[in-house]
Amino acid sequence: MDSPSSSLQQNIDLSKLSENDKHELQQFIVNESQKARIQQSVHSLTDICWKKCVTGTIRSGKLDKNEETCAQNCVDRFLDANMTVIRHLDNMRNQS
Amino acid sequence: MDNISNGLGFGASSSDPKAAVMNQVRQEAAMTNARQLIEKVNEHCFEKCVPKPGSSLSSGETTCFTQCMEKYMAAWNTVSRQYINRIQQEQGRSAGGGGIF
Repeated sequence: MDSPSSSLQQNIDLSKLSENDKHELQQFIVNESQKARIQQSVHSLTDICWKKCVTGTIRSGKLDKNEETCAQNCVDRFLDANMTVIRHLDNMRNQS
Repeated sequence: MDNISNGLGFGASSSDPKAAVMNQVRQEAAMTNARQLIEKVNEHCFEKCVPKPGSSLSSGETTCFTQCMEKYMAAWNTVSRQYINRIQQEQGRSAGGGGIF
């Protein structure tokens, strides 16, 4: 993550930023980071759910109905599973 | 890898450093996203479309790649919609929760 900042410094004179600009940029970065994190999760979920749901040979460029439903369920169940793991870990911590 | 976006000429206009920073951040994000997608499409579609690599990519394999790519992006969009719905639901149920990943 250090490369973007190094390339920024080459190109952009940050000393010209006003206080308002700085606040606005900070908020912008927070939003963009969150967006990037969500996109990252979507990439990894698509990876997982493609393996589970698209098992046949490729016959068209569209998802068929089964595959689409499977992908939707796959996302929901993966997140359920994730919550279950977290809840269980939480229980373990409280017991010890 | 960040040199690609610089190399493509998305440099900064020094007149407005704020817009320049924003542009650069957006470009970096878009590049990362695109790179990630290409990597995954290639991985999964190679698996599906080229079971036994021959001396060249056949026209059947090429067609398969095109369809597979469209299909992967359709899957990406479906997953994205479902995931975002879920996040919004969870946030509605308990404010403050949210990003687990």
